[in-house]
Amino acid sequence: MKKKLKKLNLSRRNFLTGTATLAGIAATASVVPISIANANHSEGKKGLPDFIGWKDRDALIVHSDKGIETHRSAIGESLVTPNRNIYIRNNMPTMTDEQIGNRMDWKVSIEGVKNPKTFTIAQLQKLGHETMATILQCSGNGRGFFKHKPRGSQWKTGAAACVLWTGVPMKTVVEACGGINGDAVYMTSAGVDHVPTGLDPKKAMIERSVPKKVFKDAMLAWEMNGVPLPNAHGGPLRMVTPGYFGINNVKHLGKVAFTTSESSVKYMKKSYRISPIGKKGSQYPSCWEMPVKSWITRPTDETGTVKAGKVQIVGVAMGGTKKVRSVKVSIDGGSNWKRAKFIGPNLGKYAWRQFVLETTLSAGTYNIASLASNGSDKQPELRMENRRGYAHNGWKDHSVNITVV
Amino acid sequence: MKIIKFLLIVFFISMSNNITSIADEAKMKKGLEIFNETAACAACHILKAAGSEGNIGPNLDTVSMTIESVTDMVTNGLGVMPAFGEGEMLTKEEIEIVSYYVVNAAGK
Repeated sequence: MKKKLKKLNLSRRNFLTGTATLAGIAATASVVPISIANANHSEGKKGLPDFIGWKDRDALIVHSDKGIETHRSAIGESLVTPNRNIYIRNNMPTMTDEQIGNRMDWKVSIEGVKNPKTFTIAQLQKLGHETMATILQCSGNGRGFFKHKPRGSQWKTGAAACVLWTGVPMKTVVEACGGINGDAVYMTSAGVDHVPTGLDPKKAMIERSVPKKVFKDAMLAWEMNGVPLPNAHGGPLRMVTPGYFGINNVKHLGKVAFTTSESSVKYMKKSYRISPIGKKGSQYPSCWEMPVKSWITRPTDETGTVKAGKVQIVGVAMGGTKKVRSVKVSIDGGSNWKRAKFIGPNLGKYAWRQFVLETTLSAGTYNIASLASNGSDKQPELRMENRRGYAHNGWKDHSVNITVV
Repeated sequence: MKIIKFLLIVFFISMSNNITSIADEAKMKKGLEIFNETAACAACHILKAAGSEGNIGPNLDTVSMTIESVTDMVTNGLGVMPAFGEGEMLTKEEIEIVSYYVVNAAGK
């Protein structure tokens, strides 16, 4: 095995690495991520990669070892999605405990502020402490419905979760640094999970800029649903940008800078751009704010049947960056709609609400759809066609066909 | 006469099958070379058949794929994966061969 790897053509590999000094190439060659692969990504007993061997295999659809989706019916019957059911989408290999070291000593630097500082998690925990609920959703959630088969994991509904984060509000951190520099336009967060790979940071670093205003509700989180933030979800420290797509919630956070321009790394400039099919480029909108969206989670997914009689049709609805106001449900493919009831607690505008419509169904097949509104926007019927299959919130594709017997 | 004709047909069919399998074998060999050396896919992907253990991109033994989807991915790239079809990193023929190889070698 190793013999074959040794034969790798280094000049070819340079496209991935940084400047092509001989020392640099040699250093990169020595850290070709073989050891990382062995450390945490071999397949475990349950058919899940070892680094998430603790997850519930039955709740998950495995697209690859780095793209793992929650079943429509496994999103959870309570408001918060259990960690063991939450999807995985990682652009870089998850950092290992060895790479992370002592979690309390993990450092994040804050720049573009009056008094730039570096904090350890132990120091952040002395600054402030809050818990908030937000929705984590991959930009490509719903990609599996696009007919032109965009590259990437073919997610249907399950690259999303409602999560309780605990950490320090970014606002508190900014205050501790004397405030933001006057000319800043963006909040730019950078992960360090590319470092162990030895890849060129310009091509591999997850550095995402979002409009500066996002800092007001953002959080540096070290806990997820009541447990220390798992490495697979970006532990020990993650930026949480409420209402913004998952990619902006930078994992393994090493730096937050208030900047005058957007980051120039590939993951900001080229990737995650919503462009027409056949076109690409940084002139197109970035995957930032999530649109209003909902989908049905119960009584069953496409694979199941339901007994005739009284049925509870349940789902989740989100308003994006605004509070979700209403949800309507149709059992006839969108010809007729009935208003559903919100259930469970309201955990704030960035969390989703569960909804229910009680109805009586006789034997037959039904197309069940949901349509959410946040007051100013409602879900469109159809998807917004785009090259990479991002930001799908059309209600028709997200509907579910069920059989009542 | 009929027997000779029949034997000739059998002979040509078996030859053409052999030629096909020799061509497939050559394609797999060339594909492995592209995977491990020319394009260095091995640096970033696990593929047991190629002996590769890279861990940047997905483990190719775990992904469901078609020759078409791999060709698209190799040509256009995704995230940190380069677009091998741009800047002539690989020729169209090389992309076709390595895609054929990956799909046929995965899970073996």
